[in-house]
Amino acid sequence: MDWGRVQFFLGEVFSNFTRNAAMQFTAIGTVAVTIVMLGTFLYVRETLATFGQGILKQIEIAVYLNDNMTDTQAKALAASLAKDERIASARYVPRAEGLKEMRGRLGRDFDTSLLTANPLPNAFRVTVRNVDDVPKVAATITKLHGVAKVDYAADTVTKLLRAADVIGRVGLAMIGLLVLTTAIIIANTIRLTVFARRREIAIMQLVGATNMYIRMPFIAEGIVAGVIGAAVALVVLAVAQMQIVPKLASTLQFVPFHVNELQLTGELLLVGAAVGLLSSWFSVGRYLRA
Amino acid sequence: MIELRGVTLTYPNGTRALDDIDLEIGKADFVFLVGHSGTGKSSLLKLLYREAIPDSGEVMVDGIRVDKLRRGKIAALRRNIGVVFQDYKLLTHKTVWENVAFALQVTGARSKDVMRQVPRVLDLVGLSHKSRMLPNELSGGEQQRAAIARALVNNPKILLCDEPTGNLDPSNTTEIIELLQRINLKGTTVLVATHNQAVVDRMRRRVVRLENGRILHDDERGYYFRGLGQSPVLSG
Repeated sequence: MDWGRVQFFLGEVFSNFTRNAAMQFTAIGTVAVTIVMLGTFLYVRETLATFGQGILKQIEIAVYLNDNMTDTQAKALAASLAKDERIASARYVPRAEGLKEMRGRLGRDFDTSLLTANPLPNAFRVTVRNVDDVPKVAATITKLHGVAKVDYAADTVTKLLRAADVIGRVGLAMIGLLVLTTAIIIANTIRLTVFARRREIAIMQLVGATNMYIRMPFIAEGIVAGVIGAAVALVVLAVAQMQIVPKLASTLQFVPFHVNELQLTGELLLVGAAVGLLSSWFSVGRYLRA
Repeated sequence: MIELRGVTLTYPNGTRALDDIDLEIGKADFVFLVGHSGTGKSSLLKLLYREAIPDSGEVMVDGIRVDKLRRGKIAALRRNIGVVFQDYKLLTHKTVWENVAFALQVTGARSKDVMRQVPRVLDLVGLSHKSRMLPNELSGGEQQRAAIARALVNNPKILLCDEPTGNLDPSNTTEIIELLQRINLKGTTVLVATHNQAVVDRMRRRVVRLENGRILHDDERGYYFRGLGQSPVLSG
């Protein structure tokens, strides 16, 4: 490692960076705002996705059977359910067990001892591999011989998730615009630095510095702005998480707040660096070609 | 070392800067390029370090077709050519040492080479004792010497000077021209664009005279104006 060379390069980057501090401040601020929005969005989306998947996994199709069904018919029905590739599992629940389950589920809210007879029919509980198949599978099962009624809650949940998906896309598009704005602001900042250093650049070109070499300090400057912005955003997000999430978690107990924070941190820093790199790259590139 | 064949160059506004130029300059030659302002002297120099590309014709520098050079090869060409300007083009916030070192550092030179080359060229131009000064603490002649040191620090084969004495008084002018001559004696090809008649006539080196983008005359041991030198040639 040639320390003198490193020192020279870092000196160039530093003098770039301090040359228009006000503009750098704007650039870093914009990156920070964007990353805070992006981070919040990703956090909420991951939480919702975990939450939604959790619910969807529990969705079962309840297949109620005719009371007068024979054992052979029930077995034939079980066999045809097992053959269907879309079905993950089909569990036979005899009426007695169904009542026990219901008792457990309702607990003290409903006194089952008041019942004189078991009102439940025999049933299958069917889970499906892909949630999107639930309506189709339900329709198929309805047509099978000996089936009295098919019931599932997936419809509402899928609609909710679809809505969440649409909202997510709109949010992503807005964040995309925000990232673009950030890129433009960084590009402008770098262009100002380039303008302030046009004499140096002219001399560098004159004495035979490669365009790549001329570019490097500016790109480093862009990356530094991006990463500092992202770091500021991460601090804001961390404070917000410590303040807000425990309160939310106590109100919304059914929502699991499990987000891979390390991965999210890495992703956000990467986004900051990438925005800084790309915008400065294009900004200097345009100048060098002109 | 330098060869132009049928070179024509037009400015973006349509005026003809150079018109069908043929010129050959050998290794270690010393050539004055003279003519009024706007006759194409600077344009001719720009063709050589690929700051301009001719409309037609060939530009050869050290065996390379400069007019056909790919963008990525320009940097390599320029390390072989030192350029000096009338206005020095020094970086005002850097010291003389830093200005000269800069030319090496931005080509990715090792610091060991920087430490060796910079003192060498500063010594050559006689500025070793002022290496820690900023350009605006120096006289015009000293600033131009610093610029020459910077042009030479990459050990170029060719030194191009565009009106190097344009801002200097006569005694500084003499100093700079003598320095350029010393550099030439070490084997560097030197091409000086100037309209300083006194310098040209005193030196009696090869003179290429441009007028309206064409070569008017090209004389060994020539004068600024052919046959109108301060001491006319006595033909023997």
